[in-house]
Amino acid sequence: MPILAFDAITKSYGDTVALRDVSFEVPEGQIFGLLGPNGAGKSTLIRILMDILRPDSGGIRLFGEPRRRQHLDRLGYLPEERGLYRKLKVLDVMTYFGALKGISRADARARSLEWLERLDLAHTASWKIERLSKGMSQKVQIASALLTDPELCVLDEPTTGLDPVNVRLVLDLLAGRRTHGRTTILSTHHMNEVEALCDRVALIDRGRLMVYGPVDEVRQRYSRPEVRVETRERPPEVPAVTAMVQEAPAVWRLTLGDGAAPSAVLGALVAAGAAIDRFEPILAPIEDIFVRVVREGQA
Amino acid sequence: MIGARNTRTVAAFEFLSTVKRPGYLIATFGMPLFVALYGGLVAIPAFYLERKQAEPKVYGVVDEAGVLGLEGEARAPRPAIPDEIRRALEASGQAAALDRALVSSQYVFRPYAAEPDARQALVARDVDGYFVVPRDYLESGGVDTYAPETVRMGGGDARTALGSLLRQRLLAGRVDEQVAARVASPTSGGRRFAVTPEGELGDGSVAATVTRLVVPIGFMVLFLMSIMMSAGYLLQGTATEKENKVVEVLLASANPDEIMAGKLVGLGGAGLLQIGVWLVMLGAAGVGIVPMLVAARVEVPWLALGLALPLFVLAFLFFGSLMLGTGSIGSNMREAQQLAMGWSLTAVLPFMLMSLLIEDPHGAVARALTWIPFSTAPVTVFRASVDPAGLAWWEIAGAFAVLVASTWLALQLGARLFRVGLLISGARPKFREILRQARLAG
Repeated sequence: MPILAFDAITKSYGDTVALRDVSFEVPEGQIFGLLGPNGAGKSTLIRILMDILRPDSGGIRLFGEPRRRQHLDRLGYLPEERGLYRKLKVLDVMTYFGALKGISRADARARSLEWLERLDLAHTASWKIERLSKGMSQKVQIASALLTDPELCVLDEPTTGLDPVNVRLVLDLLAGRRTHGRTTILSTHHMNEVEALCDRVALIDRGRLMVYGPVDEVRQRYSRPEVRVETRERPPEVPAVTAMVQEAPAVWRLTLGDGAAPSAVLGALVAAGAAIDRFEPILAPIEDIFVRVVREGQA
Repeated sequence: MIGARNTRTVAAFEFLSTVKRPGYLIATFGMPLFVALYGGLVAIPAFYLERKQAEPKVYGVVDEAGVLGLEGEARAPRPAIPDEIRRALEASGQAAALDRALVSSQYVFRPYAAEPDARQALVARDVDGYFVVPRDYLESGGVDTYAPETVRMGGGDARTALGSLLRQRLLAGRVDEQVAARVASPTSGGRRFAVTPEGELGDGSVAATVTRLVVPIGFMVLFLMSIMMSAGYLLQGTATEKENKVVEVLLASANPDEIMAGKLVGLGGAGLLQIGVWLVMLGAAGVGIVPMLVAARVEVPWLALGLALPLFVLAFLFFGSLMLGTGSIGSNMREAQQLAMGWSLTAVLPFMLMSLLIEDPHGAVARALTWIPFSTAPVTVFRASVDPAGLAWWEIAGAFAVLVASTWLALQLGARLFRVGLLISGARPKFREILRQARLAG
């Protein structure tokens, strides 16, 4: 069952259409990649989900029912344009954000301390926000969004500005959420994160939904019929292969004929006596798909 | 209710984070100390002046008419103190101050045989000045005054004191003592009554009149101060949230109406607490006023006091909503203050028309201002305090109705502007764009 469903969402700002008839679903317990170039309408869609903006038309279903204000307590949100109260203490700010999500102040305080410990920031609990480094501040914001262990959390560019160690920390947190059946919508421009982490993606461009589906399926859909083969000898000629290019020593890229299945090609190569060390269909990188779709849209 | 919960959460956060600020604590506890220090500095010269005045002032008198019959130095009779003030001062333990006040007004008159002798004494600074009562005084009533060339205050008091002495000496032996006392002080006793339009008697003493003016003027001052201070906190908080980009996180948990209501309650509470602290400190410093009021049998304007709090709360919500709504359109504190300044000016309106209100508390201007929401609260309290009998019940009910309706409208308008303002970043939008967004925000 989808935890979230957008149904024909349309939103305009004056004469500018920000979203045009956008519909898709987010399955429960997954990490969902929300992709799109700057100004595509992603932030507008997220703001509509959070009831910050109201759509001109269309609807949202959350947790299997039409979205209500009460649902906000079960959502977490890390906006792209974000900040904290610079003059206040870390623990006070986190407690406030937790209390706004409906948990008691005492509970929010205890959870905040747990999260700070988990993110190696326990020593900053009594610091004023202005004393934190940019990376520390960002981790505090992520912890605030995840404080109540929300069933659905939207994170807009959560790793931007973090060092590789902290990027890994955040990505592990998201993977941990998935293990516990929590759903995360990840809006990012880091395509390697999408490939490594996301189960499903939606790509929005100029207010329209351009691509949607499971990551592997999308990559397959946009891939050319090619496989990569590692073998010490040049692979033998088989009917299903129309072209063969050596990419590196002992690495070959084979282009398949119309309708040829990779598994059939592998069988044919083995039958022809090839000693294959490695065989893999070449899937288009998400980044290439992103660029291609956006360029086609511009054209 | 999620709305009430969010409003409470925002209110508690805004209240606590404001009252813990060093700036707030300094203003709350430092302001009375500053005022006390200032008062002390101002009081130092007054203290020395009083001590100086407590010393006997010696004036020469050349009695050419022979009406004073001075054989040596003579003191002027003590000035009469109205009964109600004497009672009040004694009841509040200020008898010593009363004695000092009386002593300080004593003048000593030293006789000289001729004007040159008196002038010589003045040149030698033996006397502070001298008077010549001419031979034809009884016909003309003229008394010549001689004083040093330097500017001196208090010469008029000496002349008044000489007048008292002349009255006493002129009447001595000519009329009985009672008549002489009444001639010297014909209207020092008795109470003042205020007669209501229904013919009932009320307290008309000076103290009552002052109290009736002090209550509404104090209300207006506190009202204005709380509006200005709380508005400052409201605008600062919202501008900070916009500058720090916290707004979107808040809006993902609470809607703009809840945030605005929470801010109004929380920061309004902080403003009221500040004024409360000031009032307590003021009360502690001036606790002696209470027995004075009781002893002077001052009628407390209970109606005005009863109306003050609910009207104050409504008016605060009215102004707070408008100021917060318009101020939130600004992208920083400076812009927010500029946008909200107009409302502050309307809050000052009753002060600007104060002389008209005192002149005729139930005149056309006062009645009109009662029905204008920007001035309803202070003007209603003013009228109820100065002359409660002249304020009809339907005017009080009308004032509440106007303020409740206006506050409701202001909350709606303020919330819409606030919703638009929170989501607007960068340059301040044009008026047309704000209107368009406000329509959408509904």
